[in-house]
Amino acid sequence: MALVDDRRNDMTFFQKVRNTNWFLIILIFLTAGFGIAMLYSVAGGKMDPWASRQAVRFAVGASLMLFVAFVDIRVWLRMAYPLYALGLVLLLIVEAMGEVGMGAQRWLDLGFFNLQPSEIMKIALVLALARYFHGLTAEDVQRFRWLVVPLLMVAAPAGLVLVEPDLGTAILLIMGAGALFFAAGVLWWKFALVFIGVLGSIPFVWERLHLYQRERVLTLFNPERDPLGAGYQIMQSKIALGSGGLWGKGYLLGTQSHLNFLPEKHSDFIFTTLGEEFGLVGGMILLGLYTAILMYGFAVAFRARSQFGRLLATGVTSTFFLYIFINIAMVMGIIPVVGVPLPLISWGGSAMVSILIGFGLVLSVYIHRDIPIPRRPGLDPT
Amino acid sequence: MTARDGQYDRRRGLRRFVQLEGVAKQALDTGHVRLIAVAAGFALCFLVIAGRLIGLTALAPRDDGANLPAEARQVHSARAEILDRQGVLLAGNVRAVSLFANPRKVMDAARAASQLAAVLPGLEQENVLRALSSDRGFVWVKRQLSPRQQDAVNRLGIPGLGFADEERRVYPLGRLAAHVVGFTGVDREGLTGIEKGRDDDLSAGRTTTLSIDVRVQHALRAELLASVEEFQAIGAAAIVMDVHSGEIVAMVSLPDFDPDAKDEVPADNLFNRATLGVYEMGSTFKAFNTAAALEFGLAGLTDTYDASKPLRVARFTINDDHAKNRWLTVAEIFQYSSNIGSARMALDLGPDRQRAFLKSLGLLDRPQIEIPEVSAPMVPSPWREISTMTVAYGHGIAVSPLQMATAYSIVVNGGLAVTPTLIARRPDEQNPSPRILSERTSQSMRELLSLVVEDGTGKQAKAKGYLVGGKTGTAEKAGAGGYRRNALLSSFVAAFPIDDPRYVVFVALDEPKGIKRTFNFATAGWTAAPAVSRVVSRIAPLLGVAPAPGPAAVPSDSLLVSVSKDR
Repeated sequence: MALVDDRRNDMTFFQKVRNTNWFLIILIFLTAGFGIAMLYSVAGGKMDPWASRQAVRFAVGASLMLFVAFVDIRVWLRMAYPLYALGLVLLLIVEAMGEVGMGAQRWLDLGFFNLQPSEIMKIALVLALARYFHGLTAEDVQRFRWLVVPLLMVAAPAGLVLVEPDLGTAILLIMGAGALFFAAGVLWWKFALVFIGVLGSIPFVWERLHLYQRERVLTLFNPERDPLGAGYQIMQSKIALGSGGLWGKGYLLGTQSHLNFLPEKHSDFIFTTLGEEFGLVGGMILLGLYTAILMYGFAVAFRARSQFGRLLATGVTSTFFLYIFINIAMVMGIIPVVGVPLPLISWGGSAMVSILIGFGLVLSVYIHRDIPIPRRPGLDPT
Repeated sequence: MTARDGQYDRRRGLRRFVQLEGVAKQALDTGHVRLIAVAAGFALCFLVIAGRLIGLTALAPRDDGANLPAEARQVHSARAEILDRQGVLLAGNVRAVSLFANPRKVMDAARAASQLAAVLPGLEQENVLRALSSDRGFVWVKRQLSPRQQDAVNRLGIPGLGFADEERRVYPLGRLAAHVVGFTGVDREGLTGIEKGRDDDLSAGRTTTLSIDVRVQHALRAELLASVEEFQAIGAAAIVMDVHSGEIVAMVSLPDFDPDAKDEVPADNLFNRATLGVYEMGSTFKAFNTAAALEFGLAGLTDTYDASKPLRVARFTINDDHAKNRWLTVAEIFQYSSNIGSARMALDLGPDRQRAFLKSLGLLDRPQIEIPEVSAPMVPSPWREISTMTVAYGHGIAVSPLQMATAYSIVVNGGLAVTPTLIARRPDEQNPSPRILSERTSQSMRELLSLVVEDGTGKQAKAKGYLVGGKTGTAEKAGAGGYRRNALLSSFVAAFPIDDPRYVVFVALDEPKGIKRTFNFATAGWTAAPAVSRVVSRIAPLLGVAPAPGPAAVPSDSLLVSVSKDR
């Protein structure tokens, strides 16, 4: 029996605790602590309205992370497709009847909290793709016909998220999946083909973009073009970062961000506050923390014996990286303004919880790194 | 699932595992290469971010003082303080910020102008808009904001504005000595008062210590305010002067102003009546006439003049307000303030000697004092015989309260010249003053002044416990087409203690109105004299003037009377 086979590799709780990568957990706590301190500052030195609630959310998210970590990796393998299906259904529901916030339909009001199905999908898609590629042989991966299904698996949620509209999440889904495809061994030239295809489709996409999204792209290249509107935020952000200098103005002393110069100072633009108050040094410390977390993520992927574990860790780590890169590059005016929070720092519960669950999976991969998982073909339910 | 299926499954799985051992290993290697490639790509992205972060923060031009425009930086120098003679701060500095703009960086000038005008009082929206719309790189928006205003401006969140630190001149005692201390302009350059008169010293950092004593100043101002209130006067002026050193211990002009809010004050309040105002003083001038007569030996105190009827000269008639209609001694002329008698004495004196005498008292020239608000007197020109007669009783000549206080100081101090000053003199500063009039004349004048208060027009100037001498002066103010009967300048000049004077107190009320208590009189004896009485009672202890033993006997007298009654 297959189940007998699996049980042979079961680990005790003590073994799992010993196997846990506690240093990664400490890094995550440090980063989140940094974020809560920044929210305290942005509120003008007050725990309300952001810091206290963010701390509670982090506590909940961290508990979930540890729970997820200790669940056997094979359970997650089994749950991959059902979770993906659930995410897709929720996305359809939100499209049909979700709450409209900030001009976009992204939320499901569950009474006690607002559920953002796109956040569930960020994890579920990585799980499902890892599960799919786990079952393919190296030769299969090189064949296009085996790529149709995963491409559809990406396209469905990405399309649903894009019509919400939530460009940031759509980009995260597509690029995160791209990293996973790449790590799974999809041939180089296929990525080149996709790249050319994307370039070719720009005119068509441009037609489809919202006016505000076009504005953002245009102002990216010249923020002074519309200093009062779309360019204002990015100009203020640069001014604030510039005023921080090497050492910053000091904790709680940022003026651009504390006063009303900077919109979204507590959410997507919190890196600006950090830069203003702690300067280059503070920004570099945060980048250092992130780099350490990312290195651990890749180390976990590298160390994993199973394809599923490796791809899962790679997918989560890549998504985490994309969060960071898109947010900071946006705040500094390298790429257009898209709504992507700074992970573990920005105000916002859904993103925080989904990221922590993602790291729960990475930890699970690490804890169960030596458990062999038999390869089974494609969509075969285990 | 049957057992066979399970076995089959397991076998198949095992077989696959074994078969793919080599392939899987290859896949693993591929996976690792790809993983390293992904990580390398990410590392590259992080380098881009880090580079940009360095460019934006460390290499960006810093927005601190070093980058401020020259105009914003040169306002830092420290201006010296102004103190009273006891060291009390009258003018000092506090840190303040000034708001400037770089119009090229201000994005919506119209909106910014309306927002700024809304939070900063005294700012004209059109002016701000014009400044913000200019193509210059630096304009002042408003100087010397309060911290509250700075916060309000910050909260507007207008890009392109900046604050420059500077110091703001403050006057902690506000109105108390506003006309003396004066004020500065927005660049802290002296504009009025000591701030202007001592601008060179103050801007060079040399502290100025005034002769003013804030305690005396406060008492004088409080009593003067009370009188202005009581008699509904349009203004008032008062001076307390040290008769020997010429130091002005207190000087008040009403209405006054708050130097910290000078922009909102009517121009009239800025006018210093004590030094810039010149007035026909009326009967107080008789002291100079009498002193001249005594000094030139024209008459003794007991010589008499005809004051039995009005004096007709050309088309003028000189009358007495308190007419006795008889011949009066020189002492009586002064005591009852006879215009007729004074005019007759002046005729004996003659214009030349009169002019020379008044000039020696400093009444015909612009006085020298450390503030710029000083007027030259208005003197008769040409100086005819009729001028000589009217000047004798204080008409046809207009001088400032400052000149009156100075001249009276000379008259009562033993006859030595006095140079008025607002700057504290050092105790060792003993300049031998030239003699103006004889000791004997001065002594006689003290007796006459004492007489006026004891039993003359100035009885209400008596101050319990102190010996006060003085003279009333009620002048009708000149208006269009002649003197206005109901517009008076009622003044009283006192010296105390009159047996050995140390201080002169001048009080003048501008257009006081009679009230029930004064039987509708608004003359000096009813208005200015009581004010002087109250002032002397309050300031004498502050100035270290011991009470006279005389009046202290009064309670024991009444005690004796009551005792004898009991008997």
